[in-house]
Amino acid sequence: MAMTTAEQIPRERSSADRPRRGGPRGRSRRTRGPGFSRSLYLFALPALVLYVIFFAVPTAQAVQYALTDWDGFSATYDNVGLDNFKTIATGDDLFRNATSNSLKFLLVVVVFQTLFALVLAILLARNSRGSVLLRALYFFPTILSSVSVAFVWKFVYDPNFGLINQTLDAVGLEGLQSAFLGDSAQAIYWAAATQVWFHAGQMMVIFIAGLQQIPRELYEAAEVDGASRWAQFRHVTWPMIAPATAIVMAYTTIQSFKAFDLIIGLGGNPPKPALDILSTRIYGSFANSEFGYAAAESVVFMIIIAVLTWLQRRVVRKVQAEG
Amino acid sequence: MSNTHPGMNRRRALQLFGVAGLGTVAAACAGPGSTASGGGSKVEGGDIGGELSFAHWRAEDKAVLDKIIKDFLAANKGVSIRQDISPSTDYQATALQRVKDAAIGDVFTALRGPQFSDMVKAGLFADLTNESVVDNYIPELIADGKGGGKQLGLPYQLVFLIPLANRDLLDKHGFSELPLSWDGFLDMCDKLKSKGITPMAFPGADAGNAGQLINGMVMNNAPSDDMFTKIESGEYKATDDWYLKTLEQYAQLRPYVQPNAAGTAHEPAQQIFASEQAALLTTGSYDAASVRALDADFAMDVFTPITVAKNEMKYEGCHNTTFILGVNTATDNQATALAFVEHLSDPEVAGTYANGTAQHVTIDGVEYDDRDLKAIEPWLSKNTLLAPRYQFTDLDIAAAVENAAIEVIGGTSPEQAAEEAQRIVDQRRK
Repeated sequence: MAMTTAEQIPRERSSADRPRRGGPRGRSRRTRGPGFSRSLYLFALPALVLYVIFFAVPTAQAVQYALTDWDGFSATYDNVGLDNFKTIATGDDLFRNATSNSLKFLLVVVVFQTLFALVLAILLARNSRGSVLLRALYFFPTILSSVSVAFVWKFVYDPNFGLINQTLDAVGLEGLQSAFLGDSAQAIYWAAATQVWFHAGQMMVIFIAGLQQIPRELYEAAEVDGASRWAQFRHVTWPMIAPATAIVMAYTTIQSFKAFDLIIGLGGNPPKPALDILSTRIYGSFANSEFGYAAAESVVFMIIIAVLTWLQRRVVRKVQAEG
Repeated sequence: MSNTHPGMNRRRALQLFGVAGLGTVAAACAGPGSTASGGGSKVEGGDIGGELSFAHWRAEDKAVLDKIIKDFLAANKGVSIRQDISPSTDYQATALQRVKDAAIGDVFTALRGPQFSDMVKAGLFADLTNESVVDNYIPELIADGKGGGKQLGLPYQLVFLIPLANRDLLDKHGFSELPLSWDGFLDMCDKLKSKGITPMAFPGADAGNAGQLINGMVMNNAPSDDMFTKIESGEYKATDDWYLKTLEQYAQLRPYVQPNAAGTAHEPAQQIFASEQAALLTTGSYDAASVRALDADFAMDVFTPITVAKNEMKYEGCHNTTFILGVNTATDNQATALAFVEHLSDPEVAGTYANGTAQHVTIDGVEYDDRDLKAIEPWLSKNTLLAPRYQFTDLDIAAAVENAAIEVIGGTSPEQAAEEAQRIVDQRRK
């Protein structure tokens, strides 16, 4: 009986339900209900059209412009092949400086924002009234516009009237006063600190959501086994919030690269070299009527973000698998 | 077979989407730059009426311009005018693209320098050469509105891009006669500093405003008046003696600016000057109205360090003609746009603008009754150079050369700053 059934099933599938390449009947016929209409595929059309118009077309255009010396307004242009990319790779200190600043900014923001957000989340994960109030307080900067944040911090950092130097002066620590954004060696780190203040609360919320998903029983079992608080964090919390950590780090990375308005607000337009990041550099090239070159910079920028995000995901997975 | 649709299945839908997507992407790859240039064509006639956009960067002038626009609308029924205002640096970056498509700027303005030359190349300016409105202007002050032998734009503002001076403070400390040599200037700074006064408020964190000081610093040092054009062309270098000397003089100014000057933004620098903590504000006459808005009540003048000995001085200061008015070739309402430019160019209206905004204008026969304009009026007849920093047509080269000076104020050595600037210039020229 069993043999008969086993033989029958493949025969039936081969004659009627087996997916066939190129034919109208296939897997879908097996999986869709009897009321399924294929015209439902048209529902994807609006989203697809928007995707093509706002992503595929600009991306294709950027690649095509990147191979030209178009100035953005002339009726003519020359195809320059890969010259723009060669210049970016070998003869553009401004782009190199912006890349270096972007990476410093990214590193500081990813490390400190993730760390602060995680610490705040652990401290405020319980749903007490005080925690909810503090969560709202830490989340508050996120709802402000980046331009407002930049202007507020620009005055916090002002060396003459700013809050930090005034406070240092009031407590007799004049020696620690700084030019902040005016100090070429430090400026990008002060900008990164502003970004951390701006978005740590937002990342805290993601971590809290992750922490609240962890079953209580795991901690109880760990306590029964005599695990310390650190051991509980390392062997229960950290692996269990892996998805939240991956989201936070990927989001923070992309956010860091897109900190355009914050940098323009803090450093002016164009920002001075110490504050110039990739997005402001590309904007500068567009403003300088070098659309072809700016498009090439944009393509390189896209590649850098893609590679870094991919690398980061791999590292996070590996670290958490080992943890 | 009730679940099959005769005209559409998944494969066909994907094929359709794929083909459409590829087609769109291929269309996107059509060559850029399809804009036909209508630059330099005469202003088209027509009826006065309809909506106009006036694009500019002077947010601080909005109230005065609103009043001027109101008068124009009263005399021209059926017209409405919207001011599209962006901060000057944003305007520098984005105006060309927006004006080109006539998204804004039926009447538009341009900054002298790279923006004006790019807008001329893009064919945005209608030809005003034979329009009667040109006769309202002082001819030598609108030369920078020409392109290809035609009067394309009308520079409207005349500003002095040299430091603002607190006349009362300087008089009080014995400097009724301002020094006309470098040694005399340093001596004045030294004496002011010894009396607890910051000689100069320098907005080092704001590149656009910090860069103004360079006009006066190079005007007598450079071997020719087109020094920055020649740096850009490669004939001069940022490492040449004259520019190195300029940077060394910047280094000598370090003790005479406020502490941490490289981190000071524009508004705090204005505040330091307005509160009489500093004798000079190293920006330009365009800041006079903002300083007054901070409740400053002292007499103001403009004055720049003379970087050479008195007998070697060629120029006493620098001026600039900017806010270049143009009629957009892309607008279909050129007649109304021209009528509005004519209104702005009327001496009485221009006087309202000048006195309301504390800016001199390039229009003949304007009477200045504003306290600061009257104080600065003698500079209209002094020997001043057209501001050199607007000779640059490449923004990155301009930034590199100007930033070298700001970096020196912040502590970088003149030699290092000059070499770094020249490296950028060399890379940009390739």
